[in-house]
Amino acid sequence: MGATLRAAWHIAVKDIAIEWRTKTAFASGLVFAVLVLAVLFFSRDPTAVSAQDIAPGALWVTFTFAAMLGLNRAFLIERELKALDGILLTPAPPAAIFWGKFGANLAFVGAIEAISLPLFVLFYDVPIWLRFGELVLVIAMATIAFVAVGTLLSAMAVRTRYAELMLPLLLLPFLVPPLVGGVQLTARLLEGRPLSDLAGWLKLIGAFDVAFVTAAALLFQVVLDE
Amino acid sequence: MTTLATDRVLTATGISRRFAYRTVLADVSLSLARGDVLLLVGPNGAGKTTLIRVLAGLLRPAAGTVERHGTIGMVAHDAMLYPALTARENLRFFARLHEVPDRERVDTLLEQVGLARRADDRVGTFSRGMLQRVAIARALLHGPGLLLFDEPLSGLDAAASRTLVELLMSFRERGTAMIIVSHEMERLGRVATHMARLAAGRLGPLESLAGRDPAAVFATLMQEDQ
Repeated sequence: MGATLRAAWHIAVKDIAIEWRTKTAFASGLVFAVLVLAVLFFSRDPTAVSAQDIAPGALWVTFTFAAMLGLNRAFLIERELKALDGILLTPAPPAAIFWGKFGANLAFVGAIEAISLPLFVLFYDVPIWLRFGELVLVIAMATIAFVAVGTLLSAMAVRTRYAELMLPLLLLPFLVPPLVGGVQLTARLLEGRPLSDLAGWLKLIGAFDVAFVTAAALLFQVVLDE
Repeated sequence: MTTLATDRVLTATGISRRFAYRTVLADVSLSLARGDVLLLVGPNGAGKTTLIRVLAGLLRPAAGTVERHGTIGMVAHDAMLYPALTARENLRFFARLHEVPDRERVDTLLEQVGLARRADDRVGTFSRGMLQRVAIARALLHGPGLLLFDEPLSGLDAAASRTLVELLMSFRERGTAMIIVSHEMERLGRVATHMARLAAGRLGPLESLAGRDPAAVFATLMQEDQ
């Protein structure tokens, strides 16, 4: 267990170092996030639809598609000179690769979300500060679910010729439950509804977290086998 | 190739492998002891790279077993490195996954492959020959008992080839077993102790090169293709 965690840590640090140096996924993710927030804001008729009404949807569309860019990148960096084979030749177990990639992807998506959130407030003028802790919890829970399944599927997609196209196709059906939960919870939080109103959706996302993380960790070995 | 059980570094028995409906390896058996250097020859598409990947544990055989008595290092067509990281960072990363002390070992190997001066340059800026040298250093990090090389001289200029052949000679003198896939008889013939031909997935008998001209043995083996 200790060796697996150590190897996972080294893999995560390496992935973050590469992204920090190249900034390819981060820059495109951020530009994408700003663009989606702005386009959705300006596309509505302000006399008919208030910004607050579309804010939860805009937030989660932004997070989801910006995160997709990072998830794609996670295994593309392994493909260029077949570095993943180099890792597989070491004693690091496949579980270490999964947890390392999962950790790095969480850091990447978390960074995109942390920067997008103030922009979201700026465009949509929503009082997130009143329920900030709860909103962060909802974002974290939904993010864990889609990063777990995204890490697994990006390892699968990278072995195909059209990896960038394959990942969204494979991932989007799995994203529906945590995404709907995230939108519902964000909407209720922004409306100022009490915590008791959120329990059902929180439990649902929590269940998806457990199911997706467990399934992804267990199936990762199968995906790596050729 | 008769080997003592205690000297054995690799025993492969009845290896078969198919890709879709094509048999790539058929009932391949092979045993290697300390100090054995097998030069593997054969026509294109004979299954040489597949055999190397199966022996390394990167591909699972459809039938048969591979017993590895010790650790394996591998240098393939692709360098298995990260272009965005420097040579030193790449080697440190893989050293950590091998759980070997990284600092001194990495510096020694960079010196050994003649890249100490370029240690802090990104490998994405390296020529094919330099990449190959970093890949060799990566394969040596954990002091493996068996080294697998797939076309190690491809893309190297005369000076880099000479350096690599000298390195391979020094590994042989230290008792490291090697399997080298190459048709470069002139340069690698003197490193090898045995030669075998793989054609249509079947491995021929292992010819000892003791007291024989490798070029003549190669010519005889390749005649079977005509």
